[in-house]
Amino acid sequence: MIKAVEAAEHNAGMKSQTVADHDGNGHSAAAARVVRVRVLRQDAPGEESYWERFEIPYVANMNVISILQQVAAQAKSRDGRRVAPVAWDCNCLEEVCGSCTMLINGRTRMACSALVDKLLEESADEIELRPMSKFPVVRDLVVDRGRLFRSLERVKAWVPVDDSYDHGPGPRIAPELQEDAYPLSTCISCGCCLEACPQFTKIEAVRREDESAEDFESRRKSAFDSGFVGAHAISQAMLFNGHPTGKMIADERLEALTAQGGIQMCGNAQNCVAVCPKSIPLTRSIARAGRAATVWAIRKIFDR
Amino acid sequence: MTANDPSPSFLARHQFLIYRLFSLAGLVPVGAFLVVHLLTNASVLAGPGTFQSRVDMIHSLGPLLVPIEWAFIFLPMLFHAVVGFVIIANGMPNVGSYAYVGNVRYTLQRATGMIAFVFIIWHITQLHWLGTPFGGGRFDPHHATSSAAITLRPLLVSLLYAVGVLSTVFHFSNGLWTLGITWGIWTSPAAMRRANWISIAIGVLLGGAGLGALGGMRSVDVEQARAIENRMDDVKRMLEGGQSPLDGHQPQSRSPEVRTTKPHTAPVVPTSGPASPTPPGA
Amino acid sequence: MAQPRVLVIGGGLAGLSATMRLAELGASVDLVSLVPVKRSHSVCAQGGINSVNALTRQQGDNEWKHFDDTVYGGDFLQHQPPVKEMADWGPRIVDLMDRLGVPFNRTPEGFRDQRRFGGTLFKRTAFAGATTGQQLLYSLDEQVRRWEVEGKVKKWEFWDFLEPVLDDAGRCRGAICQDLVTMQFRAFPADAVIIATGGCGLLYGRSTMSMVCTGSAVSRAYRAGAWYGNGEFIQVHPTAIPGADKLRLMSESARGEGGRVWVPKTPHDPRDPRDIPEVERSYFLEERYPKYGNLVPRDIATREIFDICTTEGLSVEKDRLCVYLDLTHVPRETLDRKLGGILEIYEKFQGVDPRVVPMKIFPAVHYSMGGLWVDYEKSSTGGLVEGSPRNQQTNIPGLYAVGECDYQYHGANRLGANSLLSCIFSGLFCAPGVIAGVDARGKKAADESSRLFESGLRREEERHQSLLARTAGDENPYDLHQQLGNLMTRVATVVRRNEQLVAAYAEVCSLEERWRRCAVSDSGNWTNQNVVFTKSLGDMFPLAKLVLKGALQRDECRGAHYKPDFAMPGLHATDLVEKRREAEQWCDRFEANTRRWLKSTVAKCGVGGEPEITYEDVDTSLMSPRPRLYGLVGGEMIEEVWKERQKLAGVSGDGQEKQPAYAGSAS
Repeated sequence: MIKAVEAAEHNAGMKSQTVADHDGNGHSAAAARVVRVRVLRQDAPGEESYWERFEIPYVANMNVISILQQVAAQAKSRDGRRVAPVAWDCNCLEEVCGSCTMLINGRTRMACSALVDKLLEESADEIELRPMSKFPVVRDLVVDRGRLFRSLERVKAWVPVDDSYDHGPGPRIAPELQEDAYPLSTCISCGCCLEACPQFTKIEAVRREDESAEDFESRRKSAFDSGFVGAHAISQAMLFNGHPTGKMIADERLEALTAQGGIQMCGNAQNCVAVCPKSIPLTRSIARAGRAATVWAIRKIFDR
Repeated sequence: MTANDPSPSFLARHQFLIYRLFSLAGLVPVGAFLVVHLLTNASVLAGPGTFQSRVDMIHSLGPLLVPIEWAFIFLPMLFHAVVGFVIIANGMPNVGSYAYVGNVRYTLQRATGMIAFVFIIWHITQLHWLGTPFGGGRFDPHHATSSAAITLRPLLVSLLYAVGVLSTVFHFSNGLWTLGITWGIWTSPAAMRRANWISIAIGVLLGGAGLGALGGMRSVDVEQARAIENRMDDVKRMLEGGQSPLDGHQPQSRSPEVRTTKPHTAPVVPTSGPASPTPPGA
Repeated sequence: MAQPRVLVIGGGLAGLSATMRLAELGASVDLVSLVPVKRSHSVCAQGGINSVNALTRQQGDNEWKHFDDTVYGGDFLQHQPPVKEMADWGPRIVDLMDRLGVPFNRTPEGFRDQRRFGGTLFKRTAFAGATTGQQLLYSLDEQVRRWEVEGKVKKWEFWDFLEPVLDDAGRCRGAICQDLVTMQFRAFPADAVIIATGGCGLLYGRSTMSMVCTGSAVSRAYRAGAWYGNGEFIQVHPTAIPGADKLRLMSESARGEGGRVWVPKTPHDPRDPRDIPEVERSYFLEERYPKYGNLVPRDIATREIFDICTTEGLSVEKDRLCVYLDLTHVPRETLDRKLGGILEIYEKFQGVDPRVVPMKIFPAVHYSMGGLWVDYEKSSTGGLVEGSPRNQQTNIPGLYAVGECDYQYHGANRLGANSLLSCIFSGLFCAPGVIAGVDARGKKAADESSRLFESGLRREEERHQSLLARTAGDENPYDLHQQLGNLMTRVATVVRRNEQLVAAYAEVCSLEERWRRCAVSDSGNWTNQNVVFTKSLGDMFPLAKLVLKGALQRDECRGAHYKPDFAMPGLHATDLVEKRREAEQWCDRFEANTRRWLKSTVAKCGVGGEPEITYEDVDTSLMSPRPRLYGLVGGEMIEEVWKERQKLAGVSGDGQEKQPAYAGSAS
C-alpha cells in the first residue's frame, strides 16, 4: 500500500527524491507517498540470491518500469545504503517487445503493463519483484531466455521461401485464415507461458572451464532440446503449418513436435493461455498440434 | 541429459509414443474397465442376485480370466501408473502462484492419480485372490455381495473406499477431457468447454455409480444375500454338472468364510473387522 | 576466394533485411544487437507499409505518385533518386513480405487489404492488424533465424557497438563491441560494417521510442568521422499518452472516429473532466480551424496542442503537460467496434477506461528523419544503380547506414507508413553493393594486421575502466538524462526559437561537463547496466549539439522544423489585386527561401565534439520543389500564381514534368 509517510520520516537519502524535483511526472500531493518494493537480487549466475528493499516516491500512473528506473536513479536501499542499481531487461515499454517479463507479486507478467495502483491492491504493503524462475538468472531480474528462441529453431518457425527476390505476391489467403493466424503471430516471446507452465522446468547449462565456446553452445543446445519445447513454440509451429507455403515443411515441424520434449510434455494445466499477455489462444494451438501429431503418427505408421 | 550423451535413451527417443500410449491406456482398457467395474458393482443396488449374476458372467470366462485380467487390466494399469509417476516427477505444480481452474485440475489430476494408485493396490490386495498371501483376497465370486459387503462393513474402510473411488473417478473423467485435447479431438476453447460438461457428466455418473455400489454393499442384508448366492450357486452347479445341490460345495473359492464354514447353512462370521455379525442396516 | 564477412549493427527491420539478403548472397554475417533482435524497436510500428498496388494502380496511382507524395510530404529535402528507387521497390517489397508470411489483412477474395494513410489519396497502405511493424520484423527475424541455423549468420545479442575500426587509409575494417553480460570486449574484423540502429529518441528523455533508441551507435560512428545529415528534423506525433516511463502512441484514428480535443478554460481545473460544463471548455482546434476541426494535419495539431499548454498555460495538469482527447460522447458500441484495440492500450497503461473518462494526451517525439549521411549512385533513369558500393555508404568507406539511422528518405517530414518501407528497402537494397564494395577492395579484413583492432580494444577498455573508476562523482547519470531530455523537449521539438536554442546549446555543454563528473553506482564488471547507460548518455551530447546547432542555423520553416520567427504567413488582403500582389511576394519569398535553404544539413564532428555544419545541395532533378499550402489562408491564390510562374519556366508546376512512362505493372 501507499504509505502516507511524513516527509520527516524519510531518511536523508529520500528527502531529495520528492516528485517535485523529479520533473513533475506526477502530482505534488503525492510527494509524501512512497511505494515499497522488495527485489530478489542475485549478483551473477551461481551466486546466492538475497532480498533488497527499496522505497521510492509514488507517482500517478506508475508502472513497475518506472519503479525500477527510480531504483536505478537513487541507487539506495530502503535503509539508506548505497547499492548497485537493480539490473532488468526492458525495451519498448508498451508490451510488444517481450523484454520485461518478471515475477511481480509472485505472478509472471510484463513489468511495463503492471500498474502500481493495481499491484498495491493485490499486496498492500510491498510490491515483490523476482526474476523468472524457469530461466537461468544472469543478474537480478535479468534472465537468459536463449532456450525460448532455441525452441523456435527446433520447430522451424519460418516460411521456407526460396529466396528474397521478386516472385510476385505470396499465396492468396482467406480472411478467415488470416484472422486465425494473426493472433498467433502476435506472440512477443516474453516467456510468460513457459514460466507459468508446470511442465516446463528450468535447464541451466554452466560452461566448464576446459570447454570451448562452441562446445558449450552445442552442449547447451542439446540440453535445451531434451526439455519441453513450450507452448509458444507449439503455437508458432501451428501458425506456420497453417500457412500455404509454411505447410510445405509441416512434416518437419511435426517431427520436431513429436521428438523428445515435444507436444507430449504438455500436461493441460492451461496456465499458458491464462497468463499470456497477448491473449493468444495457446491451448487451441496445442490441441491442434495434438490432432496434427495424432494424424501424422498414424500416417507415419501406415503410409510408409 | 547433456551433449555427452550422444544417443538418447530408448525412453527419450520414444517419448511421444510412450506418452500417447499412456494416455490411451487411461481410456482403454483401464478407463473402460473402470466404467464396467463401477457399473457392475452398482448393480448391487438392484439386489444381490443381480450383482451375483453379473459376477458370474465375468467368471464364466473360467481359466481365461487370469490372462485377460493381466493383459487388459493389470499390465495396462501398471504401465499407466509407472509412466504417470514419471510425468508427475517431471512436473512442478505451481497452483499456489497460479490458482486457475485448469491448474487446480492439473494438480488434482496428479494427486488423484497417486491416491488412485495406492487405493487400487489396497483394493486388489484386499479383495482379489492375488492378495491372499497378504491376508486379503476376500472376494468370493460365488458369494459376491456378501463377501464384499463384509469387507466394506467397517466405517473407515467405507470412507477410504469413498475417497479412493471418487479420486479414481475424477482422475478418469478429468483425464477424459485432457485426453481429448492431447489427441486433438476438441481444439477450440468452445469445444473444450462443451467437452468439459460431458466429462463432468460422466464423472458425476460414475461417481454416483461408485458411491451407489458402496452404499449398496453397506446396506445389503448379508444373511439374505448369502442365501440368494447359495441358491444361485446350486442352480449353476446343477446346470453345469447335473449334480444334486446336496452334493456339496466345490471348494474352489478361496474365500476364508467358505473354507472355514459349511456351505448353505453356516452362519456368516467375518474373520476380521468388527466382531458383530449384525448385518448392515439391521 | 573467402566469403566476405559483414558486421551488421542492429537487428530491426533494416538490419535484419540486410542480414537476410547478405546471407543469401553468400556473405557471413555477424549480427550485433543490444537486445534479442526480435525485441527491436520496429515492433512498435502500428499503421502499415506503403506501396503502389494492383488496386491503386487501376485508380491512377503509380510509383511516381508515391515518390511525389513522399517528396512533397518531406518538403523536398530528400535527394530524389533514392526516394524514387524506394517507391519503385515498394510493390516488390510488400510482395516479398507477403511471401515471408506476414499476416496482412485480407479482402474477402483473399487479396491483401489496404487502407489510406495521411499524405496521399490512394489506399496504398498494407497492414497486419494494428501491429504491422511487429509482423514485418518477425517475418525477417524468422528468415534470419533460418540462416543462423544454416550457419551463415551469427547473432551477438546483448552486445554493444563501441566504435568502428578504421585502417590508416580511413577505411572501415570492423568494429569493437562489448558483451553486455560478461562486459568483455571483442574485436569484429569485417569487410564491411552496416549500422542499422534506428533513431535517437532518448535524446528527448521520454518519447514514443524504445529504450535502446539512444542514438549511441550512430554517435560513436559520428565521432569516428561519419557525417550526420538533417539532424534537426525530428518528427513529433500529436497524440501520445504521457507516462512516467515512456510516451505511448495514441493513433490518429481516435480523432478520425470523432474524438474531440479540449482543455478547461481555467488552468489546471481540478474538477473531474466530466463535471466541467461545456461553456468552461475550450475546444481549441475546432475553434481555430472550423473547417478541419480536430482533424487538422499532424504538424498543426501538434503545434496547437503544444502551444495551448506552454504559451497559454492551459495544460490540464499543472506538473505535466496534457490536453483532453474526449471520446466519451461516442457510443460505446461504436468505440469498441472501431477503436477497440487502441482504447485497450490506453486502458492497460493508464488504468482508466477512455470510453468513460476523457484521455489525457500530449505530443511526443516519434521519429528522427535525420541520421548518418549516406551516399548513392544515380542511374540514368533517375533511380539508383543497383549493386553500387556507394549506395547507403557513409563518408567512411566500408561503413554503411540503413533504416531510421540514415538521413536519406524522409527529408524534413516523414509520411505515415513510409518508415517500414524505407527500413526494409535500404537494408535489402544495400546488400549487393556492400558485397561489390568488398570485392572491389580486394583486401579482406582478415588480412588486416591485428594492431588496428588491438589499439581499438585498448581504447575502449580504458574508456570503460575510467568510467567504472568514477564512483566518487557528484552527478547522477539518470538525473542528467532527465535534464537533457527536458531541455531538448522544451526547445527542439515543435516550436523552435533562436534565443532558446542558443541558451540550450550552452546548457547541453554544461550538462556534458557535468556528465564527466558523474558517478557510477555500480562498479562491478557483470551485466553492469549502470555503466552502459552512463556511456550511452555521454554519446547523446554530440548528437544533441548537432540537433541544436542545425536547428539554430536553419532560419526557415520546413517540415517538422518550425520557427515562428521565420514562418511565411498566409495572405491578409481581401482586395483581389492586393491579394494577388501579396501572393506574388509570397512566391518570391518562397523561391528565395528554396535557393537559400533547400539544402541538407551535414554535421561533422569537430574538435572537442563540437559539430561543424555544412550544407549540401539537394538533388531535385526529378521534381522541382513547390510550396506546401495545406490549410494556409490565401493558399488558392498562391497556388494560382505559382502555377503561372512554373508554366513560364516550362514546367507543369505540379511536379509531374519528369515523370517517366510507367507500364501498368511493377517495373
